[in-house]
Order: sequence, then structure tokens, then C-alpha cells
Amino acid sequence: MLRLTGLEAGYDFLQVLWGVELHVEEGEFVALLGPNGAGKTTTLRTIAGLVEPIRGSITFRDKPLSGVAPHQVSSIGIGYVSESLNLFPAMSIYENLLVGAHTVKDKAQIAAQLDLVFQLFPRLHERRDQLAGTLSGGERKMLAIGRGLMPSPSLLLVDEPSLGLAPMATLTAFEALKELHQRGVTILLVEQNVNTTLHLVDRAYVLEQGKIVLEGTGEQLLSDSHVQEAYLGI
Amino acid sequence: MTTATNLRKVPLARRFMTFTWGVIGIVIVTLVVFAFVQPSILVDTLVTGGMWALMAGGLALVFGVMNIPNFAHGELFMIGSFVAFLVFSPIQKAILGDPTATALQVVGPIPGMIIAALVGFLVGVILELLLFQPLRKRNREGWVMNSFLLTAGLSVILINGYRLLFGNDYHGFPRYWDVHPLSFFGVSVSVDRAMVFVIAMSMILLFSVFLQRTRTGRAMRAVAQDETGAQMAGINLNRIFMLTLGLSSGLAALAGAALLSIYPSSPDVGLQPLYLAWYVVILAGLGNVPGAIAGAFIVSLLQTLSVYYVGLGWVDVLPTAIIILILLFKPSGLFGSEVKGVWEQ
Amino acid sequence: MATDTASTSVARTVALTRVRRNRVFAVSLVVIAIILPLIPPFNGQDYQRYLVAAALMAAMATAFDFTAGYIDIVNFGFAAFVGVGAYTAGLMAVDFGISPWIGLFVGAAVSGFVGLLTGMLVLRLRGIYAAVITWFVGLALMGLARNMTQITRGSLGLNVPLLLDSSDNLPYYYIILGMLFVTLGVLMFVIRSRLGLAFRAIGQNLQAARASGINPTRFLVVNFTLSCAFAGWLGGFYAHYYGILTPDIMLTSHTVEILAVAYIGGRGTLWGPAIVAFPLTIGVELMRTQLSALPGLHLVLYGLLLIVVMIYRPGGVAGAIRGVGHWLDRRQEARLDREARLEETAEPTV
Repeated sequence: MLRLTGLEAGYDFLQVLWGVELHVEEGEFVALLGPNGAGKTTTLRTIAGLVEPIRGSITFRDKPLSGVAPHQVSSIGIGYVSESLNLFPAMSIYENLLVGAHTVKDKAQIAAQLDLVFQLFPRLHERRDQLAGTLSGGERKMLAIGRGLMPSPSLLLVDEPSLGLAPMATLTAFEALKELHQRGVTILLVEQNVNTTLHLVDRAYVLEQGKIVLEGTGEQLLSDSHVQEAYLGI
Repeated sequence: MTTATNLRKVPLARRFMTFTWGVIGIVIVTLVVFAFVQPSILVDTLVTGGMWALMAGGLALVFGVMNIPNFAHGELFMIGSFVAFLVFSPIQKAILGDPTATALQVVGPIPGMIIAALVGFLVGVILELLLFQPLRKRNREGWVMNSFLLTAGLSVILINGYRLLFGNDYHGFPRYWDVHPLSFFGVSVSVDRAMVFVIAMSMILLFSVFLQRTRTGRAMRAVAQDETGAQMAGINLNRIFMLTLGLSSGLAALAGAALLSIYPSSPDVGLQPLYLAWYVVILAGLGNVPGAIAGAFIVSLLQTLSVYYVGLGWVDVLPTAIIILILLFKPSGLFGSEVKGVWEQ
Repeated sequence: MATDTASTSVARTVALTRVRRNRVFAVSLVVIAIILPLIPPFNGQDYQRYLVAAALMAAMATAFDFTAGYIDIVNFGFAAFVGVGAYTAGLMAVDFGISPWIGLFVGAAVSGFVGLLTGMLVLRLRGIYAAVITWFVGLALMGLARNMTQITRGSLGLNVPLLLDSSDNLPYYYIILGMLFVTLGVLMFVIRSRLGLAFRAIGQNLQAARASGINPTRFLVVNFTLSCAFAGWLGGFYAHYYGILTPDIMLTSHTVEILAVAYIGGRGTLWGPAIVAFPLTIGVELMRTQLSALPGLHLVLYGLLLIVVMIYRPGGVAGAIRGVGHWLDRRQEARLDREARLEETAEPTV
């Protein structure tokens, strides 16, 4: 479904990705792991069209994705939940979700997605009129994921959902992602919480210094010595 | 845990709205009081306040959504004023030539205003395409000051371009609607002024409904609060920018057109509206559109009061002193600015 | 290694050449400025009037750039500060009989003081707020000048005694040229000092500067005051050269003219605006006299140039000149590198 080949990308004078190769098949739950500064966020941002690649290709359902503007990416079927969330602080939860559905023409569809989001995150429904800027960290993550879901994406890119969250909130976030995966959404997850992630996903890649260094299923990587040493503290 | 969440449950919006409505309420009370003491103050405040609200609202919108402090905003007023003059001139000749054409007398001024608004909208779109899009592509650093200076240059071009093409003379009409003035609270109000008020109020209403309740209006507010988030939601930034500048310019042009009989067209006609719009926007808080609308009435009241009681000598010094004082205590303006902090530098 | 020492000596040679070249450039500009009014066609009275206006504009643009280019604050009421100096000097002469030469400095002091007050009140605010408030202050000052007619005679105009008794423009030119050199000299000296370093740090990154222990507001105020003082000093010259003052001297469009010159010349360089002021002002004055049927055309051109510079060449003319300098440097560097490598292959010892 999603294929990155020899992807090189960076910012102004700093190249971050040095030939990333990865693929995600329909219905998979794949994780992209690695240390800080490895380029995980850059990878997602490049897929989402926010960073222009220097070299290499990105294809989505066998169609090239380079040159697609960021605002068109969501209509292709890719949803992106960024690390910094990019919520609209002076709008209510409800309005944030509505804006997420900007590209959806069918009102019934919007209502259906709203129901889905509120089902996944009952807290959001409780506080639907509350301004996004006043929410707690966990609620903001939920809202970001919810907003990303509004256009019914087939592929969801999620960047560090557990960042800065208390364990309870992290659990909720991961539960929601698991639920979504079960409903058929393909997910590419960037995370630093290696242990929980590897237990959750089908496959994972390890990205270090802009290159993929390891690839395998969740179990394979959990028992890999490098992963254990570097990321699991074993 | 429960208390904290309960506290958070009072949405910031409600608190902000209370404040704004409170201030509007005070303004209304003051006006009502004055209506019985000095009714003409009420009338003047309402008439001009409405139009400055349109100007200031548009200015605040452009700053909030596009981060552009538009110094050429007054020139859109000038353009609208002149377009209305061009359109209404032949119509007025027709009216004068045929005193029985009542339909023409009633409806006559309207096409001028509509066309002026459309022209203003187009000019806004063109400016975005010709000036700001290239600037955005080439030079993102110091955007706020650079776009400000760019609009300063634009303002000079527009004013002097007008002067070159149409001269320094005033172009206007004594009245749009040549009928008996109405009586309002014992004050004689010309139909022109009454219509200015009606038009301003309806446009403010439409504008607010557009921003709050439509998909595009919501998209505009989204872009104002987080550009990347808006892109992620599928919003085309360039299109929103064109629409925003177009809308803001259209409103300014409409104000110029509606006020043509009170402020005749000339190269410098946009200078006072520019100053007032900026004064309101800085006072209310840059980027805050509802604050700008409310602030316009407050400033209008202050202006009317100072003209009545303080006289012309201090007309420029007093407002400057007031605004410096207010900003010293509340640097983000009376109502605060709730938009992206890109201009923090 | 041989190549290393070779490359450092190349760099040193290039640097020395650059310094020498800059010096030659600066000196030749100064010489040109001094002898220009003696060369036809510049020795005509008309042209000498233009030269005076040009040098005055050059000095004002430099003082403006001192604030806009280094601490990133656009003083949008700048023309009003020039006007304050002008009116002060003029009134000193008219009401108190003070010599114009002293009046210049009184004007500078008063303008500097108003700048100090404005700076203290306004510079706490963020960039765009500060710019707009200085605009308001300028408008207020102009309003005062307009309305305090019993003192300033408002729009009727204030007649001011001239600096010199002769009606010859040439001595005035050398006076204002001297003032230009003083302005440039003082401001450049300040920029190269530690004070200037603080200015640039604040202009580039306010938070970082604060974190390094600099109290930004104090430096902002010093810079602003200095700029306004020079504005007032030059305003004094304006008063005693043109001999008549109206509040229109403080119009915002004049600030925009000065601003345009500063940005077209090259923001943040000081010398860029000074150089560019000459051709621009002379061109404008020519336009004013030759095309008097098209009033305000020069402003349209200023506006267009400003916009073009902002979008396409933010470095202005100074940036272009610097670009030429870099190109020359690189060419010389490449040549010297080649020579050095040839020498090495010829003598593979060391």
C-alpha cells in the first residue's frame, strides 16, 4: 500500500533521511522505531507532503506521492497525526473535528465519523464544547487522532502518541489504535515506547541516523539483541 | 481531580464572550444615557462605529489568517469610494433628469456599493496572487515586518496612482438618497446615515455568521490558529489566503462606497479609515476579529466624545496617549489576541 | 600539510585584498561625493540643490537604518522626529534668536529626548506593535504641530533664518555632506562596538539575547534615542536650509520615502542607504521638475522599487555590491589555489 524507496529528505541545510526503504501493506499495523533525531518524524512529514524529498520515491497504492501538496494528502486517503498535534486551540473539540472533516462532502458521513470518534474516545464527547487549548495532554492526543480520523483515512500515520502522556492516557491511545486496526485501518506508527509498541504491532522497522537498520515482526524484534540492548534496557 | 476538571469545564469561549458582551453592554448603556443627554452622540457613534467595525474586522482577519499587517487597507476604502462614484454618477444624472423615477431613486445607490465591494474583492485576490504569494515563496523570514513594509509601499503606489489618474479633487455627492431626514431620539438623521448603519449591521452579521457557521469560515479560522494543522485537515492554504484578502478588501471597499456621501472620494480619503482601523485593531488585540468589531464601537464612542468635549486640538494626541497607556498594562490589547504566535518576535 | 598552510595563506591573501578593496571603494565614494558638485552637470545651481537634498536623505536613511536594520524596529514616525528637530531649531532661532548652528544641536537634543520617551514606553512591545505605535506617535506629533498654531504657525508655515547668508548651494552641500559623514562615522563606530553587538543579538533573537544576560529594553531605547537624535539634528539642517517649515514635513509618506531608500539601499548596512540615496534623490528631483504634470510619480516609483526589493532582492543594493565582492573574492581564491597547487607539483618537497 505504502512504499518508500531510497528516500532522502531533510530541511534547508540539514539532510536527515539517507535512503529509507520501507513498505506497509493494506491492513497492517507497522511501527517505525528508533532513537531521538533518527528521522522518524521527518519520514512521516515527508509522506504527508510537508517536507519535499531530495531523492527517492514514495508510492501509495502504486501511485507516486511526490509533488502532492500537503492539503491533498488527506483526500488521497492518508491521515496524519503529527507529533506537535497542530490542534486549533481557540476552537472547541467539536469544531476541531468538524475542520478535520473539511474534505468530506457527505453530511451523513461526517456524522458517522463523529460517532466513531466519540465511541473511541468517550472523554471527547463529554467535553465536546471545551476549547482545545484548555485540554489536558491526553485529551489533546485523543482529539488529534480523532481529527485525523474524520476523513475516514485508509492509512493513518501517527507520530509519537505516547509522548508526554501518563500511563493511563498512553493505554487509552494505544487501545484506540488497536481498535482502529481491527476495524481495518492501516497504521504506520512512530514511537519511542518500544516495549508496548512491539507487543502491539504486526511488523516494525528500526531507523537509526536516517537509515533502516532492522526490520521484522514484533516478536522477532523483541528478541533481537540490538533492540534489547539499545531500546529495552536488557 | 474532579475539581480541576470541573474548572476546566467552563469553556474559555464563554468567559471571553462574557467579557465582550459586557463591554458592549457598557457601551450601549453609555450610549442610551447619552441619548437623553446628547442624542447626536448616539447617532454619530452608531453610524461611524458600524463602518469602522467592518474596516477593523477585515484588518484583524487578514492579520489573523495571513499574518499580514495591512497598511494599504485604507486604500481599499479609497478604491471602493471611487468605484461607487463612477457607478453612481450616471445613475444620479438619470435621477436628476427624471424626478418621477422613484424606483431608481430608491435603488440607485445600491449597484455602486455592490460593484465597489466586488472590485475590492478582486483587488484583494490579485494582491495576494501578485505580491504575497511570491513573497511567501521567496522570503519567509521576518514575514510580518516584510509584508507590513510591502503594504506600506503598496499604499504609496495606490494613493499616488489615484492622484496621477484622477487628480487631487474631491469626487462625491451631497446625498445618496435625496429625501427628508428621519427623526431618531429627537435627532435628525439623514437617510444616508441610517442606511450606512443598516448596511454595516447586516454586513457584520453576515460576516460573523460566515466565520462561525460555514465550512469555509471555519477553515479560515483554522488557518489563523494553526497553518500546518489546517493543511493536514485538507485545507488549501493559497485558496484561503486569496479568499481572506479578498473578503477583507471587499468589506473595506464597501465601507468606502457606503460612506461616499459623507467622505467624498479623494487620494487621501483612505487615511483616516486606515488610522481608525489600525487603532481599533491594536487596541482590541491583533488578529482578534470579534474584539475588533466590539472595539470599533468603543473607539467610535471615544472619538465622538472627544470631538464634542475636548475639541480639535488634542484629537491626535489623546488617543495615542490612551492607547500607549492601555498597552503598557495589557500588551496583548484589551481583548487579547488568540492567534498563532508567529509574530512573537 | 602543505595544502593546509597553502590554503590558509590563500585565505589570508584574499581577506587582505578584500579589506584593501573595501577601503579603496569607501575612499573613492567619499572623494566622488566631495568633488561631485564641481563637475558638470552637477555644478549648476539646480543640481547642487538636488545634491543637498540627496545628502540630507542619505543621512536620514542611515539614521533610520540604524534602528530598522539592527534592532529590527521600524520607526514609522521617523519623519515626525526629523520635524521635531526642525521646529525646535527653527523656533529657537525665531523666538529666542539663538544661532542656527546651536539650534541644530538643540533640535537633536529635543528630538532625542522625545525619542527616549517614546522608546521607553513603546519598545517593550513586540515588533509590529512598536512600529504601529511609533506611527501613532508620529501622527500625534504632526497633529500637535498643526494645532499649536500660536507656537508653530501650523500650516501657514514658519519662516526660519538660514544657516548662511549666501544663497549659494555649494557651502550648504559641504555642510550636509559633513553631517552625513559624521552620522555614518558615529553610527558605524557604535555598530562595531560591543553596543552594536548587543543590538544585532537583540535584533536577531530577542529570547537568546535576554538569556545571555542582556537587558534588551535598555539597548533598544539607546539605539532608538540615538537614531531620533540624529533625525532631529538633520531636521535642524532642513529648517535652516529650506527656510520654511510646515507640519507636512512630518507626513507618514516622508517616512515611507526614507524607509524605501533605506531598504532599497540595503537594510542593516548603514552605507547602502547612504550610497543609494544619491541617485534616487537626484532622479526624483529631476522627475519632479521635468514631469511636474505628473505629481507623485516619484512616490509610485519608490513604492514599486520597495516592493521589488522586498520580494526579489531583500539585500538591496548593498547586498548586490557585497555579492560582487564575494564573486571577486572567490575568483581570486580559485586563481591563488590553482597557483599554489602548480607550485606544489613543481616542488614536491616539504
